[in-house]
Amino acid sequence: MPIIQTHELTKRYGRRAAKSVLAVDQVSFAVEEGQVFGFLGPNGSGKTTTIGMLVGIINPTGGSFQLFGASDPKGLLAARSRVGATLETPNFYPYMSGRDNLRIAAAIKGVGRPRIEECLELVGLADRAKHRFATYSLGMKQRLALAATMLNDPELIILDEPANGLDPQGMREIREIIHILAGRGKTIFLSSHLLWEVERTCSHVAIVRKGRIVASGTVEEVVSGGTSVLLRAADEDALVAALEGYPEATSVRRSDDGVLVSLGSDDFAALNRYLAGQGIHLSHLAPHRQSLEDVFIDLTRGDFDSMTEIAS
Amino acid sequence: MKTLSVLLRIELLKTAKRRAFWVAVGIFAAIQTISTVDGVRTAQRYPNMTFALPDSWPDILFGASGPALFFAAVVMILLFAPEFSWRTGRQNVIDGLSKERLYAAKVIVLAGLVLLFLATPIVIGVGGTLFSPSEGGPEIIRSTDLSFLGGSALNLLLFGSAALMLSALVRSAGPALGVLFLYVIIEQAIGELIARGSETIRGVTEYFPFNVAQDLGENLVHYPEALAAQNAFRAERGLPPLEFLDVKVLAIAALAYTAIFLVIAFLSMRKRDL
Ligand SMILES: Nc1ncnc2c1ncn2[C@@H]1O[C@H](COP(=O)(O)OP(=O)(O)OP(=O)(O)O)[C@@H](O)[C@H]1O
Ligand SMILES: [Mg+2]
Repeated sequence: MPIIQTHELTKRYGRRAAKSVLAVDQVSFAVEEGQVFGFLGPNGSGKTTTIGMLVGIINPTGGSFQLFGASDPKGLLAARSRVGATLETPNFYPYMSGRDNLRIAAAIKGVGRPRIEECLELVGLADRAKHRFATYSLGMKQRLALAATMLNDPELIILDEPANGLDPQGMREIREIIHILAGRGKTIFLSSHLLWEVERTCSHVAIVRKGRIVASGTVEEVVSGGTSVLLRAADEDALVAALEGYPEATSVRRSDDGVLVSLGSDDFAALNRYLAGQGIHLSHLAPHRQSLEDVFIDLTRGDFDSMTEIAS
Repeated sequence: MKTLSVLLRIELLKTAKRRAFWVAVGIFAAIQTISTVDGVRTAQRYPNMTFALPDSWPDILFGASGPALFFAAVVMILLFAPEFSWRTGRQNVIDGLSKERLYAAKVIVLAGLVLLFLATPIVIGVGGTLFSPSEGGPEIIRSTDLSFLGGSALNLLLFGSAALMLSALVRSAGPALGVLFLYVIIEQAIGELIARGSETIRGVTEYFPFNVAQDLGENLVHYPEALAAQNAFRAERGLPPLEFLDVKVLAIAALAYTAIFLVIAFLSMRKRDL
């Protein structure tokens, strides 16, 4: 039984057709026990909305989902006691101390005091726990959110962009905590727009674009899903122009090393013949091992220009 | 049962740590103390003015029916609406409360506020009678006093549930307070406009929520002798007599409004995303 299973899960914000936003569009995926599942997509692709539906704060407008096999309201409420989740920014009472905020979460989760101290210790907030939440830095707020998710020692941990606002040291700590949790057999569902974060921490990945899943599987599978070649020629402009007309080329992209082409087949000889026919003589042709970044940019190109900035 | 105690615990914690709550309760208690001290002083100075039970119940309960309304509504909004802007209600649900339970928690807060704003004037006022030289009557409380007490409770409930509903609908404390006060002003303005019109329409305005609340908190409604005396006084000056709806009718109207407000809040909570 998958821990999370969605069937054509859909969310449309707004009722009037002209103004409504189809944030999540018939998304189906499954997360199995023990996976570290990366939910990767550019800004506005529907990651937070999907998680919001799983944790019960956003009502789906279509499709369905199961958590630990439960899909009815009562079963879901029980299933959610086995989940720890954060959504977007950390949400706490600004006038209360970090510890008191955790006391509220602990009361809801039915967890005792010693566990609060343990979790504060774990995220390194013990010595600031008596200060008001409003006085915390963003990194401290993120840590407190992480502490809150771990209070009930959940089997499934859902983190929405956990590295948001953290310094490199903080990001590494988050990664370490995720590794430790994964090592203990926890299932982790992690949304991110940071490729390397997903590549380094996740076993499985789904790439979302405009509310739809465009690729999913193990990180290996997704990366090896396409074939690409790196080409160089004296006249790169002519090369790119010629490639645009080549039916097997699914994407063409310039890089520092030359022109990267994703192909539907691995018949490089045919490509070379085609280009020669167009009067282009290659000075370099080599198969290129795709990174998750290449796949991601291929799949989500056009709707998120600043992605390259983040990726580089 | 366990759920109820969890809801009670988290709301107590949220409330107890909230300075705005203590400031509001403090100001309210101070107002009650001032008027009680004044009552006791007057009784000490003028032997014909009494401050004792049961005669002073109308004075004591005035605090629970007048200013308390305003305080209860403001505190209700301050304890609910920010849960949306801070997104803490959202976090509560993520942590395992359902949206319905979050709503239930706020109904518990409402009940708590009704009790608090009823009990505070009573405790302070009755405490004051201990320092008063006046002799009390044989009964501590009469049926008319109980009626006023009940009316004050319904009055608080009606106003508090309106505040709860507005918090759920508007989802922001400032605007919710604004809408509440604007409504009160508009209802009164409409009432006055219509009062110049026909008799039957004027009858309708009596059933408007704020008017129902006001009448339930009006001591003349609960004390027929006082009303008779007042009307005799008015008759001497050629003024028309004061008339109020029957207490039972007012009570039913107040309960009906409360139920409607709470149902609207519930449906809004269930239907909308957090
Ligand atoms: N409450 C809302 N009302 C209307 N539209 C919304 C609402 N919340 C989100 N959206 C829209 O839904 C789409 C998906 O948003 P969502 O927050 O799920 O994206 P995301 O993948 O989490 O993005 P990010 O990486 O920026 O956090 C966006 O177009 C957004 O504008
Ligand atoms: Mg998001």
